[in-house]
Amino acid sequence: MDIAGILKSLESTSIATRIRESLLLFPMLESFHVIGLTMVFGTIAIIDLRLLGIASTHRPFTRIANDVLKWTWAAFVLTVITGALMFTTNAGVYFHNSYFRAKMLLLLLAGINMLVFELTAGRTVERWDKDPSAPLSGKAVAAISILLWIGVIFLGRWIGFTTTRAQFKEEPTDINIEDILPK
Amino acid sequence: MLQFTEWLSQTSFSLAIQTHEWVIPTVQSIHIAAIGVVLASIFMIDLRVLGLAGRDQSLLETTGRFGPWLSGALCILLTTGVLMVLGEPARELLAFSFWLKMFLVAFGTLVAAAFQMALRRNEPHWEISITKRATTKLLAVVTLLIWVFIVILGRLIAYDHVWGSWSHAPKA
Repeated sequence: MDIAGILKSLESTSIATRIRESLLLFPMLESFHVIGLTMVFGTIAIIDLRLLGIASTHRPFTRIANDVLKWTWAAFVLTVITGALMFTTNAGVYFHNSYFRAKMLLLLLAGINMLVFELTAGRTVERWDKDPSAPLSGKAVAAISILLWIGVIFLGRWIGFTTTRAQFKEEPTDINIEDILPK
Repeated sequence: MLQFTEWLSQTSFSLAIQTHEWVIPTVQSIHIAAIGVVLASIFMIDLRVLGLAGRDQSLLETTGRFGPWLSGALCILLTTGVLMVLGEPARELLAFSFWLKMFLVAFGTLVAAAFQMALRRNEPHWEISITKRATTKLLAVVTLLIWVFIVILGRLIAYDHVWGSWSHAPKA
């Protein structure tokens, strides 16, 4: 099946239809997406600010990571699930939206950035765990991480402003004003 | 209130926001980033109260670490929030979600401030005894849920018609 077919079949799944037909489901998915992503951003910022030597500098890095990262991942899972469900309701539109694509790219870069940390400063963590800040490579990863996640937040909000939410219509109209207006 | 929103939407500052399409999404994005700081800060303090994180730190040290970020982010939320009201007065000020949210924000902020002041005023051993109390743990869970509900209400401003006749916001 080609990509257009996959997108179409996602949109016609019963769960996508159920969300489109409901008054509350989509707003609730959006709300929990916001809760998940703000928790991801907020908890990652705690880690990044520690690496940069800006906050929690007197606590060992591994202790903070131990306190925080499990919640970051839990919040990330919530964000992915709610995001995927919203995607199915209007898959074709989101897939072709440039802000959506840019957001996915930044998420990929954030993942690569994390891998870079594991391969550089993360390997020598016993050596700088109690230092007030990470070595240069760790600081660079932290600064890039904060910028990438802020970028993800901005692009996410722009997706909302550049896509119309697919809604269940009892009487389908022939002309959609959004299609006529210049994008 | 309707007349007030109409007057507000005709002020030059409001018109300036309305005519620049990028302003509202930009302000909303900053608002969301600041929510991240607030939620994570409250969450870490509550985890400490519940004994689920930062046990090598005293409660006062934990609020000392996150309190300034919490109040700083709340100031950013207030500023960006005011800009959103100025940009779209009727959408915000006539929405039931908006007023319920404002009430809960005021309540949540008062609870957080009172808790911080009580921590500072009392002897160091006081925090050890209060974190053992079930009511303190309950307070931590309830305040976290209130802040989560505040975020939901924020999103519901865009869907205020879900409240039926309680909503007076114009349909988007």
